[in-house]
Amino acid sequence: MTAAWRRLGRSPWLFAGPAVAAAVAFVWLPMVATFGLSFIDWSMLRQEATWRGITHYSGTLANPDFHLALGNTAIYLAALLPLQIGVPLALAFALVRVRAGLPGRIYRTALFAPSVLSFPIAAVVWLWMFNPTVGVLNTLLGHVGFAPQRWLTDPDLAIWGVIAVAFWKSFGFNLLIFLAALANVPADVTEAARIDGAGPFRQAIDIELPLISPALFFAIVTTVIIVLDEIVGAVDVLTEGGPFRMSSNLLYFLYERGFRHFQFGEAAAVAVLIAAMVAAVTWAQFRFGERHVHYD
Amino acid sequence: MSHALTRRNFSLAAAALAAPALLSRAALGSDAKIDLVHLFSGADHPIQKVIRAFNEKNTGVIVVSRQDGTTYEAITQKAMSSIAAGRGPALMTTGWKLGDFAKRTLGAKDFREIFGVDRTAALLGQFRPRIRPLAEIGGVPIGLPWSMSTPVLYINQTLWTAAGLDPAAEPKTVEELYPMARQLQDKTGKQGLCYEVNEWLPQAFIQNAGGNVIDANGRAVMDSPAAIKGIEAFVQPRRDGLWRVMTISEMLAAFQAGAIGVMASSSARQSGVRQAASFDLRLAQMPGLAGHNRRMNSGGNFLAVYSGNKEQQEAAYRFMQFIASREGFEIWLGTGYLNVTTNDIPVRPGNEAANAQLEGGLTSETIWPGARGLEALTVHIDWITKIVNGTVSVADGLRGSRDAVEKLTAA
Repeated sequence: MTAAWRRLGRSPWLFAGPAVAAAVAFVWLPMVATFGLSFIDWSMLRQEATWRGITHYSGTLANPDFHLALGNTAIYLAALLPLQIGVPLALAFALVRVRAGLPGRIYRTALFAPSVLSFPIAAVVWLWMFNPTVGVLNTLLGHVGFAPQRWLTDPDLAIWGVIAVAFWKSFGFNLLIFLAALANVPADVTEAARIDGAGPFRQAIDIELPLISPALFFAIVTTVIIVLDEIVGAVDVLTEGGPFRMSSNLLYFLYERGFRHFQFGEAAAVAVLIAAMVAAVTWAQFRFGERHVHYD
Repeated sequence: MSHALTRRNFSLAAAALAAPALLSRAALGSDAKIDLVHLFSGADHPIQKVIRAFNEKNTGVIVVSRQDGTTYEAITQKAMSSIAAGRGPALMTTGWKLGDFAKRTLGAKDFREIFGVDRTAALLGQFRPRIRPLAEIGGVPIGLPWSMSTPVLYINQTLWTAAGLDPAAEPKTVEELYPMARQLQDKTGKQGLCYEVNEWLPQAFIQNAGGNVIDANGRAVMDSPAAIKGIEAFVQPRRDGLWRVMTISEMLAAFQAGAIGVMASSSARQSGVRQAASFDLRLAQMPGLAGHNRRMNSGGNFLAVYSGNKEQQEAAYRFMQFIASREGFEIWLGTGYLNVTTNDIPVRPGNEAANAQLEGGLTSETIWPGARGLEALTVHIDWITKIVNGTVSVADGLRGSRDAVEKLTAA
């Protein structure tokens, strides 16, 4: 221990102690326990454990419902990542160029409003809109001559219904991030580009986009996590993963194993597999994405 | 006047504050308090009224209402944690379908062991003889069968009469119902019919065709020729364009908005549907299948005891005595559940059809056996949904369900 550390005495431990203890108790120990649980069959009530080795992992990896949930998760990611990044980014570029006063501020607030709603509340509103008989969407379709759709019970449509709600619910958050980042772009830089003859599109792509790349990178990382994680609320309220698992995702699969079927060992194995996948995706994002980020 | 905060004063004040907590509850003469875990929402729900009526009697037992979720699975999951911690709920509403799980895994108490054979007989003796076996799992009485419902037809009488149908007509079979639904749809432009897509309503069709989902030996038999015939009758209106498939919540919303002529659902939904509907509502018995004896199923939940504490168990017994009494059950019937007791309580208006179905005899809801029974239930619903969507044929779908369920129930 260095002299500097000795001079500090117990203070660092006193300051960091509560946070470290909370992290150990509520993050690290549960993670270790989950990993351990994935190798056993555990009866919570009888407090009995039966060693199962890697059976829960091999069983999960061979389970067709897991494959379906994995494939659906990929669809959610492939659809929502471009939507959640591209649309708010385009809107942000448009909005910073408009000086609309109070109506503009109201418009921005309206765009952000869905983000502050909880998923269950938002889903209830959408359940009415999706209703195949009295919902506004089918009423509108009927007015333009299309047949009514079963938005949440048609196996080919259900996942897109969930995607639509998740997009509507969450894109305002990224919009806010992009608007804040664009507001911080130095005016002299864009002014210089304008004097040099760069049009609005050129300014956006070559000047502003690189300057807001840290915010863009942050939005991509958090959006991936949101799509993998928080969308489970929309799945649960809108479709309960149905019809026949067609709108389920990995986290909903985990929820069903653990809390509907009470197979805690299998659920723990699924949790470990999901954690490994999320870690791999996040690592890949930092490994290959961060090089394009300009922090200066 | 002021007092200095001396060590002596502080100690006296602390002792005065701590004394009540240190004295035994018995010494203070306070009531035994038990939790009733349930899934019923709303401050005005009959469950709150039953609890209030009991507590006002000052029997020495206070029942505390604890709504721990809105599904049987949700409240069961929370109960597991408290049971594991040795503080299981004194009483919990337990879905019939979870009966095997409640006994094997949650450790629902055998009434005969905790109350004695005679007192159990006295308590359950207040229920109709045909109902009592439904709350027995493997011959063991583990529940008070207080919440029983059955599938019935909800008819939008305004649309029904507007379509020129006989206002008093009650279809006895689905073969009679479907042409009526067709006429209603053609004349009014509204959807003729809607069924719930779950495991429960299809069970009624399978049984009314002479089949079973799970037989008395716990074997999956949902792909028998009789069961196939029943499910063929179930999906017929979808093939005929009478039934646009939707979730149960969508169906309820659409029916209450007056957009569906006839829906089949649980009789327990009656009070909610009646409150929300702005049209004349009529309930009719669920039709059977032509050429077969009627064999309708029940659903709902029973009250089971999970506490290992003798005092809590005794308090639960006293509350269950009240529930089974005429006074307690009369309040409870406000839910739309059926009077399954021997108490002579007039049938509530609107409940006549469900009550007539009860008088005709009801079977239990399917109890899914084995440690993976709940998973088997989910898999079966998935196959039923595939059949309804036309993704597989009825025969293939039911065979697929049997294969999957067999694997899970054998595990």
